[in-house]
Amino acid sequence: MAGIGPLSEEGLVRLLTYKGKRVKNARFGPYAEDLTADDLRSFWRNMMMTRAFDNEATSLQRQGELGLWVASLGQEAAQIGSASVLRNPDYVFPSYREHGVAFMRGIDLPEILRTFRGHQHGAWDPAAHNFQLYTMVIGAHSLHAVGYAQAMDWDGLVGSGNPEADGAVVCYIGDGATSQGDVNEALIFAAVNTAPVVFFLQNNQFAISESTTRQSKVPLAQRADGVGMENVRVDGNDVIAVHAVTRWAMEHARSGAGPVMIEALTYRMGAHTTSDDPTKYRTSADEDYWRERDPIARLEAHLTAIGELPDDFVESVAAECKEMGKRTREAVRSWPKPPKHLIFEHVYAEPHARVEADRAWFERYEATFADAEGAR
Amino acid sequence: MPKFQNFPLPDAGEGLTEADVVTWRVAVGDKVEINQPLVEIETAKSLVELPCPVDGIVTELVAREGDTVEVGSPICVFDIDPDGPPAPEGKEPEVADPPPFADHANDAPAPVEKPVASSAPVEQEGSGAVLVGYGVKADVVHRRPRNVEVVEQIGGVGDTEYPVLAKPPVRKLAKELGVDLTTINPSGPGGLVTRGDVEQKVKATSAQTLATYANDDQPWLETGYSNDDGRSTRVPVKSVRKRTAEAMVQSAFTAPHVTEFLTVDVSETMNLVAKLKADRDFADVRVTPLLLVAKALLLAVRRHPEVNASWDDTKQEIVYKHYVNLGIAASTPRGLVVPNIKDAHRLPLHALATELQHLTAEARSGRISPARMADGTITITNVGALGIDTGTPILNPGEAAILAFGAIRQMPWVHDGEIQIRWVTQLALSFDHRLVDGELGARLLFDVGRVMNNPAHGLVWA
Amino acid sequence: MTATTSQAAASLEAHAEAPSTVRTLTLAGAINAGLRAAMDRDPKVVLMGEDIGALGGVFRVTEGLHKDFGERRVIDTPLAEAGIVGTAIGMAMRGYRPVVEIQFDGFIFPAYDQITTSLAKLHYRSQGQITVPVVIRVPFAGGIGAIEHHSESPEALFAHTPGLRIVTPATPQDGYDMIQQAIASPDPVMFFEPKARYWDKGEVDTARVATQLDAESGASHGTAEMGRARIASPGSDVTLLAYGPTVRLALQSAAVAAKDGVSVEVIDLRSISPIDFDTVLASVKRTGRAIVAHEAPVAFGTGAEISARITELAFFHLEAPVLRVGGFHTPYPGSTHEHDYLPSLDRVLDAVDAVMAH
Repeated sequence: MAGIGPLSEEGLVRLLTYKGKRVKNARFGPYAEDLTADDLRSFWRNMMMTRAFDNEATSLQRQGELGLWVASLGQEAAQIGSASVLRNPDYVFPSYREHGVAFMRGIDLPEILRTFRGHQHGAWDPAAHNFQLYTMVIGAHSLHAVGYAQAMDWDGLVGSGNPEADGAVVCYIGDGATSQGDVNEALIFAAVNTAPVVFFLQNNQFAISESTTRQSKVPLAQRADGVGMENVRVDGNDVIAVHAVTRWAMEHARSGAGPVMIEALTYRMGAHTTSDDPTKYRTSADEDYWRERDPIARLEAHLTAIGELPDDFVESVAAECKEMGKRTREAVRSWPKPPKHLIFEHVYAEPHARVEADRAWFERYEATFADAEGAR
Repeated sequence: MPKFQNFPLPDAGEGLTEADVVTWRVAVGDKVEINQPLVEIETAKSLVELPCPVDGIVTELVAREGDTVEVGSPICVFDIDPDGPPAPEGKEPEVADPPPFADHANDAPAPVEKPVASSAPVEQEGSGAVLVGYGVKADVVHRRPRNVEVVEQIGGVGDTEYPVLAKPPVRKLAKELGVDLTTINPSGPGGLVTRGDVEQKVKATSAQTLATYANDDQPWLETGYSNDDGRSTRVPVKSVRKRTAEAMVQSAFTAPHVTEFLTVDVSETMNLVAKLKADRDFADVRVTPLLLVAKALLLAVRRHPEVNASWDDTKQEIVYKHYVNLGIAASTPRGLVVPNIKDAHRLPLHALATELQHLTAEARSGRISPARMADGTITITNVGALGIDTGTPILNPGEAAILAFGAIRQMPWVHDGEIQIRWVTQLALSFDHRLVDGELGARLLFDVGRVMNNPAHGLVWA
Repeated sequence: MTATTSQAAASLEAHAEAPSTVRTLTLAGAINAGLRAAMDRDPKVVLMGEDIGALGGVFRVTEGLHKDFGERRVIDTPLAEAGIVGTAIGMAMRGYRPVVEIQFDGFIFPAYDQITTSLAKLHYRSQGQITVPVVIRVPFAGGIGAIEHHSESPEALFAHTPGLRIVTPATPQDGYDMIQQAIASPDPVMFFEPKARYWDKGEVDTARVATQLDAESGASHGTAEMGRARIASPGSDVTLLAYGPTVRLALQSAAVAAKDGVSVEVIDLRSISPIDFDTVLASVKRTGRAIVAHEAPVAFGTGAEISARITELAFFHLEAPVLRVGGFHTPYPGSTHEHDYLPSLDRVLDAVDAVMAH
């Protein structure tokens, strides 16, 4: 990686060009050899469903139904490709943009919107999906991921001798997060403890408006070199390469050989959030360049070229996507307002006198109003 | 039937309040689908494309390209049931707001005084209910209406309940006065001992001491407080007593008072009183010697108008009044006051009697107005009503003379060269020696005496 | 031995008393013993921190544990407080009970983010689905002649964050009991250990908490008990509230005040979040006078919350304003001035005089 910058495409592991042509990679090719056409169609469908949900959420925000939305547009391959490797007892610590990973972990995607409609801060049971709630503080979850990985190791789930039973943690972070102290500490703790964790770094090239060149002078994967951690840079929009690299990394971590960092170079096609305006800091030429390298388009081109994208399949996926959009909209419309007493729930696991006092005060206060909940 | 629904401008960027409409991507009459590009707007943060929220037909573009629109104002109208049957003749349905999502279904605004445009949720005062994505919460400008029954039931909207003994300032007072709070029957809400309770207790304690050597009916002690051993009571000087004291001091210590006395045989006046009492014309008024004295004084003042004046020390001027407002000193339940009869010099006897009667009634009931007491020019004080012979009255401030009219007694008197029993009274005139010298005062007094002695003399002067 | 002699011996044995469960321990020793008992009770308890392994901790509070429980359960960490707390959170999410040590109060701040944005909030964020039973042990407060950052009292900075429990033992018995209760509690607990008191000795009954925590619902009872204040010395004229290092000062002040005929009730709060206002208010309603003594700066400190709450709930029982004796609004000074800065006997007794004067 000597001499190249943090946005360089040089040396990226690639198995599918942006024009949809399969290419070889000596080291990681073997990890994709057994992918069937069905597998590829499955990748395509999962990426399409993620995008359909994501687009619907963006529309809902623009129609005034969500306070905010954080679009995953353009990063589908990085997410579907990596998540397609996961099985139980693997555990995922996402940041807040991993809707494709959530989809793969069995989260009913519309549920994510409860948070963005302001109903609650976390909308699924992490233990049921082995998928932690979204963490809004940049990089804070990376330390949790390392501790969790250490605990998996203590529980005998790592390098047990039975590879099928082993597990590891995947921690998704972004380019901006690599500057955070917590993330660097996580790399250190993971390395010295030989923790079974894969740091999956989606370098989508922007931390809001700041290019990755403001976070680093060298490729981000080199951070891992600093702590002696295995690492690789992959074309994040090439779902096949992402899948292959993640398979290698997870096998490594699950076996007890230690942590790995995967840097997936991708592009945040949308804005940071719906409050952002990318026209202020990037050019349409830049966007056009990366639109040509769209993850879904290139797989589509490939499958079409090899005659593995029949019309009926395309139609059925289109119908599924339309249904996903409709279901998302209807779900958001249907959720009743959370009752006010929820403010006081679950502050602690055991009763706490101050919380109880405040709750009692609030109940009494609310009861004095003519329009109190339940007073109608 | 067509179903018209508007599209209020959403908040596209976490707290924006308005946006400019840049380019419409649709035209009136276009069929539209959910999420198709509808309009491009420019906010403070960026250029944003809004996707269409409904399936239907565009029926109106409310905001034009270039307009600045507030978040929450409708920008266009759709017919969301275009394939339904047409509306009946002349019955175009109204434009509705988009139906709220389930979590805002009950966000009806609190009742407000004036009707509010249904298409602008953000403009509703006091509702506080704003849809997600509709910007900063509007200021709440009315208090949320309370459920009175519940409030009464829980005993107020105050914070916490506690058994209240007494507030710190009251505790301090109790300590100073040596009162044990726990022995007091509290009169405040929830058993609170009030300041009044403490003071009451102090008085109650001391009243028992007084009762041993006086009866309990001593209204002048009412507003006072006794000292610790109950042997004296301090009453704050207030209102009437205060004003009287001030007037007395002012008068007594500014005007040099001289008093002259005259003893008069008023038997003829008493005869006249008897006659007037029997007179039909005076049947409706009270006729008293005081009435005749008043008349006598008025006649005397007419002959010596220079006593009807006031010494203005500030300006170093004597103010001669060309009217007589005759004051009659009165003892009322609230203390001594001097109401006056305005323009008494003009009043014939009957009218004077009527006025006197009114004045007496007012005094008795304590209903004397400040106007009644203002601008007196000369005063009579009827000490005789209390059985007193005479006195040295103090001038009413602002006046130059005051006549004390004593009790009328049957006395041995020399009449027609013989000692007879006659009705005799004493008149005393105090005057301000700065503007009334002894001779003037004497003449005035003598004239009053003359009329009282021989009422017919009034005819001579009239 | 004849039959009768052996009978006698047997009956002598039967009457022999069970070995006493009471030991004399220093505060540091009591916490050490409590950690050991907790680790014996629950194999999921792991200790983490800088220098807690072979060294046994800079105050020796973890002495001997590395040797007996091994490096998997007593872990020397990299020098990274955020990392220590953050990884502990991850372990707790997987059912472990990490007890981490922050070496000195003044070094807790790199971990402030993890403590306030993650540790305090994960239970709430997840609607109760995630529990993070992490205990953070922090030697705190001053009076040991240390250099900068080694004498801080930052408890209020954490008590102001809902989701954390904050406790502080003042006696070896409480050190022993409360560390175990904290470890057993499902909630995150910050355990502030008054370092100036580490070498104070006291009697510790080691049986009581064991019985409690071995029983069903022991963790709940333990959490509740951990939150209660203790009347360290009853009195009738003034309520003197203290915690951690100032409890000893409060008791000394009460003894001197008694000679002047003033009866001071000393309450050891033990818990800062929650504060046991039931006990506090019952006392204040009896005495009508309250003073709070803590080492932390008075401005915006624990005493401010207590004063406000007493005013709200017992205003009409007060004979005098609630007074606070504590540090000044300055950084902790050089150790030469430390005892001028810290609450002292004279300052506490002046406060007693002041409230008695009303």
